[in-house]
Amino acid sequence: MKRLIPPALLMTVLLTACEKDITVDLPTTEPRLVVEGTIETGQPPFILLTRTQSYFAPTSVQSLSDIYVTDGVMTIFDGVTTHTLDKLCSGSLTEEQLQLAAEATGIDINLLRQVNICAWTKLDGTLLGEVGRTYRLDIQADGKSISSTTTIPSVIALDSLWFKLAEQDPGDDSLGLVWARLADPDTLGNAYRWFAKRLNAGPDGQPKDDPFIAPLFSVFEDKFVNGLTFDFNFVRGSQAFSSADDDNNAESGLFKRGDTVAVKFVSLGNKEFEFYNSFANNVASAGDLFSNPANAVGNIEGGLGIWAGYAASLDTVICVP
Amino acid sequence: MVRCVRILLPLLGLLLGLSLAAQTSFSVSGYVKDAATGETLIGANVYIKETMKGSSSNTFGYFVLNLSPGPHTIVMSFVGYEDDVRTIDLKEDIKLTFEARTKAIVAKEFEVLGEKGKDNTENTQMGTIDVDVQKLSTLPALFGEVDILKTIQFLPGVKSNGEGNSGFYVRGGGPDQNLILLDDATVYNASHLFGFFSVFNADAVKNIELIKGGMPANYGGRISSVLDITMKEGNEKQIHGQGGIGLIASRLTLEGPLVKDKASFIVSGRRTYVDVLAKPFIKPGSAFGGSGYYFYDLNAKANYRLSDKDRFYLSGYFGRDVFNFVGSDPGDPKFRIPWGNSTLAARWNHVFGPKLFLNTTATYSDYKFLFDATQDQFSFKLFSGIRDVGLKVDLSHYPTARHSLKYGGQYIFHNYTTSTVTVASGDTEFDIATPPKLYAHETALYAMDDFDLTDDLRINAGVRLSTFTHVGPYDRYILDENGRSTGVTNFKNGEKVAGYARLEPRFSLRYRIDKNSSVKASFNQGQQYVHLATFSSVALPTDVWIPSSSNVKPQVGTQYAAGYYRDFKDHLFETSVEGYYKDFQNLIEYAEGAQPQNNGNTNYDAQLVYGTGYSYGAEFFVKKRTGKLNGWFGYTWSKTMRQFPDINQGREFASRWDRRHDLSLVLAYEPGKRWSFGATFVYATGQAVTLPVNRYFIEGRLVSEFTDRNGYRMAAFHRLDLAATLSNKTTKTKKDKATGDVTTVQKRWRSSWTFGVYNAYNRMNPYFIFFDAAGNPADGDFQVLAKQVSLFSVLPSVTWNFKF
Repeated sequence: MKRLIPPALLMTVLLTACEKDITVDLPTTEPRLVVEGTIETGQPPFILLTRTQSYFAPTSVQSLSDIYVTDGVMTIFDGVTTHTLDKLCSGSLTEEQLQLAAEATGIDINLLRQVNICAWTKLDGTLLGEVGRTYRLDIQADGKSISSTTTIPSVIALDSLWFKLAEQDPGDDSLGLVWARLADPDTLGNAYRWFAKRLNAGPDGQPKDDPFIAPLFSVFEDKFVNGLTFDFNFVRGSQAFSSADDDNNAESGLFKRGDTVAVKFVSLGNKEFEFYNSFANNVASAGDLFSNPANAVGNIEGGLGIWAGYAASLDTVICVP
Repeated sequence: MVRCVRILLPLLGLLLGLSLAAQTSFSVSGYVKDAATGETLIGANVYIKETMKGSSSNTFGYFVLNLSPGPHTIVMSFVGYEDDVRTIDLKEDIKLTFEARTKAIVAKEFEVLGEKGKDNTENTQMGTIDVDVQKLSTLPALFGEVDILKTIQFLPGVKSNGEGNSGFYVRGGGPDQNLILLDDATVYNASHLFGFFSVFNADAVKNIELIKGGMPANYGGRISSVLDITMKEGNEKQIHGQGGIGLIASRLTLEGPLVKDKASFIVSGRRTYVDVLAKPFIKPGSAFGGSGYYFYDLNAKANYRLSDKDRFYLSGYFGRDVFNFVGSDPGDPKFRIPWGNSTLAARWNHVFGPKLFLNTTATYSDYKFLFDATQDQFSFKLFSGIRDVGLKVDLSHYPTARHSLKYGGQYIFHNYTTSTVTVASGDTEFDIATPPKLYAHETALYAMDDFDLTDDLRINAGVRLSTFTHVGPYDRYILDENGRSTGVTNFKNGEKVAGYARLEPRFSLRYRIDKNSSVKASFNQGQQYVHLATFSSVALPTDVWIPSSSNVKPQVGTQYAAGYYRDFKDHLFETSVEGYYKDFQNLIEYAEGAQPQNNGNTNYDAQLVYGTGYSYGAEFFVKKRTGKLNGWFGYTWSKTMRQFPDINQGREFASRWDRRHDLSLVLAYEPGKRWSFGATFVYATGQAVTLPVNRYFIEGRLVSEFTDRNGYRMAAFHRLDLAATLSNKTTKTKKDKATGDVTTVQKRWRSSWTFGVYNAYNRMNPYFIFFDAAGNPADGDFQVLAKQVSLFSVLPSVTWNFKF
């Protein structure tokens, strides 16, 4: 569901405002730990650990490498066993492994090459996400202990997927959106997240998208659609800071006739939904005076970010109107 | 509070009883009117020449003097009018009507703030200011549009919401805590175009009174201030008109007698035409093709004087803002956003005897907002509103020379439409069963006495008993700890959902030190049963009025104030210093991260959090009342804080309208007969805003971490505006054909050009700050820039006004 244009636009329509760069003197605070972790049905957990930094911190590679935590101990308790996670760091990967890591994580390969980025997972296949199970994550890093729990809800698959022209330009018969039909179960409290990726090759011979990409606004709950069967779409998401042509021209946000699109549709818990919802609002409204400033509300005790259990279902559609 | 009331009530009764039994006296009562137009004059002084004691005319121009039998010299004085002196020998109650004649001298035009002869050192009221609207046109204004609410912002203790905004904040109170009355009907949203213009068309308004402290008991329902606006009644003698053509809007007003000297009318309209002007310059295919914005206002009033004892008034206001946005591409969203107010007031004045004056008003107010958007097959509608029907009875009673009593009652039936959302995708209507309407009864009874305890000590003591009852039909959701509905409690039609009854004590006193100086002190407490909930940091039409409920407790405001007042040079200069402390309870805010669309399928108050606040400050005021150069200077030092357990981790934070320093200077200068000049200057401490302190990344996207609510100050706000007005000659020569004599006669047609410069030295005042991230972290060229947006650079304007 597209976000409606903020009223800020109304202002710019009506008034010619003047804009200038200013220096803002902000207080400095102690860095906090930020968790970005998921455990998906049938998959091992995957966790990145970073730190907050001052809003106007320098943006050199050195400064960026400061935000990634490379030292830490993580354990997951699945209700039966406590698993100690394995750490994988880009600094110790071969070029081939870096390519794979970039595809799997969506982290830019240049960043992986320049900065030692570590992720925690379980390599031996003894910890794979299961529906209905609760996972407690404990992290020791930077002299702090932080923790979180998440539960993987039931899988709720989409009924169907199809492509429909968006006709944003009159006569355009190639660009469109992927639509889906969902039958929401008759129990209140279901929440969903949408990911998609284009499997077909782009002009460079490589698949157009590597990892699944969630659009910025990617979650919804059944508060208004409980028990209904309804149609919806999401715009095509792009990687953050994408400089790809098709993310900066008319194709931005849309799929193209002939694209093969894999959709990952996940069910997630209420706190997890709250996080991605508030995260999207936070990212979209940076400095927007029409919105009340609000933090992304995560589920990490003692830190920021999210530990999310995903109940995933996959489907594919070929873009033919 | 209860203890205060216990002491107050018997005291009131005691004083009343004592003085009623005092002595025999006769009354002199009647009306003060403008001789040329028949308009009644508000606040004219009527006094005894020998003792300098007297009273002033009320909102309907009515006055009463209670005097001992015998000869008296009575003076009617009003700034801009000739004094009217009558000698009487009082043997019985008599009626007097003063028909005041305007002074021939031109200086009148340039008394920016019509002083109305009200002596600031004399009355018990504190923090009360009258503004004579007809004298504002020579002051500079944004786009040349005279705006009475923006003029009010120049007064000490009153703060604006930043650039170009007509919203005002009084002594630390929120925008919802101002009671805005147009002929006694409540106006809920007093602004057009996101606050840049107020809804009051100055051509149709006769008088404005702002009470920012020491609110008397006849007003209630709001805890910070009262802005009482009286519309003109219309000329009783002959048809007149006035109007203006400005850069963005035009105005036209017609007034005249319906029955000469008995009934009159006034009709006034205004419309902006930016949309019409802009249309040729917007290409149909451009991003804004098909978009448009306009607003219009219509004011109308009629009155009929049945007899000396009875007079009827009917007045109304209707205004709408309409914004349309149609994107250039079929896939773009389309919006239609209309909103606006309507008010209607029917009044009946009746004089029971010289000492008892009745005003009964039936009122209707309506505020509606709709946001209608469609995109692809989605349609989204958000609407909200409030509708009031009310009846008010006010009695003014002047039993003896020392007492002036007011008592009465009020009833309002509120009908709220809280933020209601409908969403549809194609034919599937999403299930958003918000309560469509909320109903409530509000009542009040009050009594107050303004009396002289000694020759130097005057007291105004009053009490107001107010009640508020939220009634069904209403469905209240029963929510679990996750905020999900687990059931519904149904309240039947008329069934009580929640109710409150409160006593509101009001007390003020004036002690006269000498002829030119006095001290005053006041204590008052008020209850407010309606609340404005806002999702954004500026006043938007999306702001929603919601009633008190079982969760939302009535707001309570308690104010203590004291001041010293002194006039110099025979009242030519007026000065005052006032200090106040104000405490707020049961304030509401939306929780951090609340979104309008989350109001569906839950209680309308589910996203609210509750807190307290306080404000204290000192206000300094110097005014030169008349002369070629006149105007005023005001300075306020104040501090306004808020505390909410669920906001800012429970820590106290500066309110959005906390300004440590606030200074304003208003000057008018008239060197000759045709040219006049106006200048205004304002300075205010920068607005407190919330900025992110830290950043982090999730899925590669930049996330902002906020730590302190309103922890950052934008740059200070200051601005100088200038205006110059050139009037045509007021007289012409006429040659008598028969005799050849040349005489000078007054022109019926008057016109003037007002040239203005807004923001004369082009100060880039901050309107808001936002952050712009550019580059890619992976490429090492990522950076975040802070950008400050200023709305108006130097803006010239020209307006042509006419009168006939």
